[in-house]
Amino acid sequence: MNESWPVAELDAVRRLRVVARTTPGTSYAEHLLDAPFDRVWALASDLEHQLPLLITDIKSFTVTSAAGERLEARARSPFGLRARFDVVLRPGWCLMQSRFVLGGMAAVPEGEGTRFAFLGGLRVPGIRLADRALHSLLEPLGGRALRRFTDQLGP
Amino acid sequence: MPTAHADPPELTALVRSAQRGDRMAVQELLDLLTPYVGRLCGPIALQDGPDAAQEALIVVFRRLGQLREPAALFGWVRVIAVREAVRVARAAARAVPDPLEDVPAKGDPQLAADVRDVLERLSPAHRAVLVLRDLEGLDEHAVSALLGVPEPTVRTRLFRARRNFRKAWGH
Repeated sequence: MNESWPVAELDAVRRLRVVARTTPGTSYAEHLLDAPFDRVWALASDLEHQLPLLITDIKSFTVTSAAGERLEARARSPFGLRARFDVVLRPGWCLMQSRFVLGGMAAVPEGEGTRFAFLGGLRVPGIRLADRALHSLLEPLGGRALRRFTDQLGP
Repeated sequence: MPTAHADPPELTALVRSAQRGDRMAVQELLDLLTPYVGRLCGPIALQDGPDAAQEALIVVFRRLGQLREPAALFGWVRVIAVREAVRVARAAARAVPDPLEDVPAKGDPQLAADVRDVLERLSPAHRAVLVLRDLEGLDEHAVSALLGVPEPTVRTRLFRARRNFRKAWGH
């Protein structure tokens, strides 16, 4: 009988909400996009092309190694600063972390469209204390990245 | 047992990394904990199960710094998941039981749907007792401590929940 008991599922967008709501110093936004999941995720998961378009602080993003869903990447800022990123990329889910930066994307089909979520944040010691002060600065970032992404999907 | 998913030393290292702010470790813990939290929240919160699982995991990761002993992770998560599931189900105000006569006949091919239907007819608190006793195998003393209600109340709820379950299944 036990195997017939209902199990609650946690889809990728809900998972990213959990990360966003438990990580200080993050900006999170989600939106229902009028495009099918496959098209949305094909675009989003092309990290090398997408991340420089979505995030103004990233000039280039190069995947340096890949083992299954785990990637390593090197990012470069417009000022030439470099950062190494650990990445987990699977259908509908991407989480990226460098020493100072956290990024994430999630997508799930919803009706004819796709619910898409974007997370960006800073990993700085003491960020928990500064979270409130930084909130107004960080808060719009996720929304901006999401708008840039939506623009690429076109009409 | 849920802890079979990870070796204790591996689990300890993962919890410690997550406590230090490593979000890749948080993600691995999410992979490990989500099926367990989903199995607890599903039968208690029913259609609000995904909300309950999300809220439970938010509480888990907000309080992770307070977990001194990583080996106790699953027991600690169980307390949070069950409480959040009962809270979310009650808040959703869908706890009014329908008449038991409406329950589908036993032997219906859609067994999973039937179990769900029978669970719908119990209150979230009764569902929590059933889950902890019958799915998790806890004794009445442990259920009483976990839910914060006296043991006689656990026994009464369990008796009523099982009686309703049996009645619904036509035993």
